[in-house]
Amino acid sequence: MTRRFDLWATLTDPLIRQNPVTLQILGICSALAVTTSVATALTMAVSLTVVLTLSAGVISVIRRHIPDTIRLIVQIVIIASLVIVIDQVLQAYFIEISRALSVFVGLITTNCLVLGRTEAYARYHPPHHAMVDAFGNGLGYSLILIVIGALRELLGKGTLLGQPVLPLAEAGGWFTPLSLMLQPPAAFFLLGLAVWAIRSVRSEQAEPPQSAELVRKEPGE
Amino acid sequence: MSRGLWDRETVALLLLAALMPMAMLWLWYGGAAAFGRLWLALLVAGAWHLLFMLARAQPPSFAGALSALAIAMLAPVELGPLRLALGISFGVIAGELVFGGWGRNLVNPATVALAFLGFGFPAAPWPDLLAPLAWAAIPAALIGLAAGVMPAGVIGGALAAGLAAQAAAPLPPGIWIAASVALVLLVADPVASAGTRLGRWLNGALYGGLVILFAHWWTGAAPVQIAVAAALLASLTAPLLDEAAIALWLAQRRRRLGQS
Repeated sequence: MTRRFDLWATLTDPLIRQNPVTLQILGICSALAVTTSVATALTMAVSLTVVLTLSAGVISVIRRHIPDTIRLIVQIVIIASLVIVIDQVLQAYFIEISRALSVFVGLITTNCLVLGRTEAYARYHPPHHAMVDAFGNGLGYSLILIVIGALRELLGKGTLLGQPVLPLAEAGGWFTPLSLMLQPPAAFFLLGLAVWAIRSVRSEQAEPPQSAELVRKEPGE
Repeated sequence: MSRGLWDRETVALLLLAALMPMAMLWLWYGGAAAFGRLWLALLVAGAWHLLFMLARAQPPSFAGALSALAIAMLAPVELGPLRLALGISFGVIAGELVFGGWGRNLVNPATVALAFLGFGFPAAPWPDLLAPLAWAAIPAALIGLAAGVMPAGVIGGALAAGLAAQAAAPLPPGIWIAASVALVLLVADPVASAGTRLGRWLNGALYGGLVILFAHWWTGAAPVQIAVAAALLASLTAPLLDEAAIALWLAQRRRRLGQS
């Protein structure tokens, strides 16, 4: 480490510029599945951020003692232990939300975002750097989850965190819920639109055209 | 398709001309309400085409009017202008403009908009199409075929499937009307349908087959809903059918000419 550690940049880069969900398209399985309401999205976001930060810290502490050949197994054991703790806490204190999240808390173990950060960053950096990086990535994931969850709950049910926001047509208001928003395709649409919006503003994130040949040969329309 | 007179807009205008008999008849029977829907659809689709021209330098196309006409004719009724505009926006943007405009889209934007509205507002009733519209679809298809802007294989395949099913077990007339109108408006689209000769026949036959399947076993579905769902699935399958046709051609060629 010759470069000075920039704590602020490590923390804030993953929010938009290096966002794990919209740039690296990591962890979208759970991001799509649990965003039908803000409450579940928020719980999932907090759980993942806690697991990610703690596992990055633990793995970073023992990074010089993990044999390379079995490093994935060691990492998964550490992550899985933390996930079980979180799952038990949720079942003990928030049983409703735990039921709504069903298997997805357990599946944090296999979330590519967690394994991606521990494998790519925590193995090579001291604990406090690794934890700041993991926390920033957790926040970036949370940001996307909460934005999509809020949009889906607002447009699909007219509520936010269970509180009515838009007056429903059934109760004399003007808003008719868009039930498509509560179905899985809506999460794809919203995530796609979010990626599109971010890449339009930050054009350095856009991928190069896959087929340069095709682009060149087309005559001016 | 970009030699001399034959550019993209010629194809779009010929398609519009082919659909005129049906559109006129629909407006004649629909009256002011139909005019209102068509006007709204044209306005929204045109506005998005204009916006994409300004923001991304994509040339606007008369194909926007094609999508607007198809959506206005087939969209669920009693939606209100706001929700209709939302559906049209989604279809025109996510179905066509993000891909770079008409000619590069994978699915007909009108199909996307109609499927979105159908899934998003399942309570809204689908329109009942009148029998004369199905008769008007015949000249529309003939003009399209004569001008060479509608794929003959798609229409032929769909007709073959429909006639075979009619011989085995007659379909209700409502299904025939909706399926033929949707065939001309949504499925026989030179961009989103299959591109190879065999692929086109398969594409049309698949559309016909799906309509028959849904008509017999999808209980409680409206005829237009059945036709739109079949059109969506058929156009999503089009690249696969092309791939199969090309693989078949390659295998035949290899067998005939030997390995090389």
